[in-house]
Amino acid sequence: MIRRRGTARGRSPLATVLVWLILGVMLLYILAPLVFMVTASLMPAIEVTRIPYRWIPKSFYWQNFWQAIRGNDGRFYFVRNMVNSLIVALAVTVSTVILSTVAGYGLAKFEFRGRRAVMLLIIGTMMIPFQVIMVPLYLVATRLGMQDSYAGLIVPFLVNAFGVFLMRQYLLTFPSEILDAARIDGASEVQILRRIVFPSSWPAMATLAILTFRAQWDNLIWPLLIAQSREMQTIPQYITLFTEEKYTDEGAMMAAAVLASLPIVLLFIGLSRYFVGGARLFSAHKG
Amino acid sequence: MRRQCRRGPAGILRRRARWGWAFVFPTLVILGLFSVYPVANAFYLSFFQKHLLSTVPPKFIGFGNYLYLFRSPAFWNSLTATAIFAGGAFAMLVSLSLLLAVLISTRKRFQRFLQLAFFSPAIVSTVVAAAIWLLIFEPRGIANQLVNALAGTPGVDHKWLVNPGMLQVSTMIVYVWKYVGYFTIIFVAGIGTIPQSLYEAARVDGASAWQMFSRITFPLLKPTTLLVSVVAMIQCLRTFSTQYLFVQAGSPRGPIDVITLNVYYTAVRNFQIGRASALSIILFAIMLFLSWLQFRVARSEEVSYL
Repeated sequence: MIRRRGTARGRSPLATVLVWLILGVMLLYILAPLVFMVTASLMPAIEVTRIPYRWIPKSFYWQNFWQAIRGNDGRFYFVRNMVNSLIVALAVTVSTVILSTVAGYGLAKFEFRGRRAVMLLIIGTMMIPFQVIMVPLYLVATRLGMQDSYAGLIVPFLVNAFGVFLMRQYLLTFPSEILDAARIDGASEVQILRRIVFPSSWPAMATLAILTFRAQWDNLIWPLLIAQSREMQTIPQYITLFTEEKYTDEGAMMAAAVLASLPIVLLFIGLSRYFVGGARLFSAHKG
Repeated sequence: MRRQCRRGPAGILRRRARWGWAFVFPTLVILGLFSVYPVANAFYLSFFQKHLLSTVPPKFIGFGNYLYLFRSPAFWNSLTATAIFAGGAFAMLVSLSLLLAVLISTRKRFQRFLQLAFFSPAIVSTVVAAAIWLLIFEPRGIANQLVNALAGTPGVDHKWLVNPGMLQVSTMIVYVWKYVGYFTIIFVAGIGTIPQSLYEAARVDGASAWQMFSRITFPLLKPTTLLVSVVAMIQCLRTFSTQYLFVQAGSPRGPIDVITLNVYYTAVRNFQIGRASALSIILFAIMLFLSWLQFRVARSEEVSYL
């Protein structure tokens, strides 16, 4: 990874101890809450607030997970809300990745009048925070009759400016000779897109997919506005309901948190380099 | 294909240009409808009095919403809460992630492990993060246990979720916890681009570790620092979920009534669409101004790698 071998050489042992002391304290700050979430999810509620906290559960209290799925009203909204979150996150991810790649390709490899204006518009749109547009967006969505529907949850996020910008930057470096060779061989533009551009941009597409999925999995503010019936709510809203009722069952609340994190954690374990790549992208842009 | 060739290069170019437009068009329509139009609409609505549920057409009131806001103590409280949260969380995020990145970069081993470990809270959703910390900050929670153990004051409740000042600190702790690893990774990547030969030369000249940081790493890291500052600042101003969850769980709203939360309550709970739009526009203006300021400050001293 990063080669700073030189700087560590010739350090005094004291400096090494100090560095690890700081890193250790920070590691504790970062990792302890995650350990707490997992251990607390396996304890009865009384144990969660026991003083001192028992970091290793005495026995596994699996009922928490049943309680988290069943819900306090026993109506299993967890299942429905989980399915909603998966549908929304997957649909948004697929659409964002495809549309961003297509538009990014168009901007990177085609000359057309107005391209600069489009590019400026994309960059300008990137700077608009969602919180600024959510109220008018809510009015647009209700006018289109999208409350309490998958359309309302998905359509505003079908593509985003950041994704287009990302794919355009990536495709700028793609050799145009290959595209021209394919054209000379008689390939249509759509064929080129499907057979050449898509297969060769999957690293960037994977990173964009992860970023998009994660952002949607985390989305609370928009579903709060658009999905008010419990059938159409998503997992972040489900967790929120648990915190309102938190004094009833802390263990079940953490179990719900663990379950809600499961898909994204599995994704992270499988694809950690794309997660990290997502953060790196920013520094890569600056070059 | 052949027909085009006969039409000559101009025909091909025109055809290619059409394809370019065709590829960009769907995205333009969606962004136009769901990003550009809402911004314009937010701006427009901020000059109207509009109730979410009423069928009465919106009434033009000029700067009425803005004047109302500037006169309302709740608005100034919101602005203060945002400034405190964003300022505090921003300062902690940038300084801690820089410190961590520098320390991680000096390690020969465990670099990857450390980066992933610090990054891990960024994967769990903000709502989950807030839920975990709600339990940690409970009167009988770990936060009190830790502080009391360190300070030797058994059984004291530090009111993490109740006392206004503590509540503000608590939300910052959650936010920094979630995002510090993300910015650490950006900084580590930035440090990786600094030529190693500079450090070799400095060591030959007998420079101390602090001198190497203050004379080489920090100045040459300026583009990365600028980037992190802009992204972190906007990120902090956009915070919503943490504050929302804390208030839902029973914390007082005042001290953590950041602008985004205020927009939500004004629009969804009080149905004041015009006023909420004016608030959004003010938030947007603040973000644009701060980004512009940071770029200006950074541009005054350009960086070169010698």
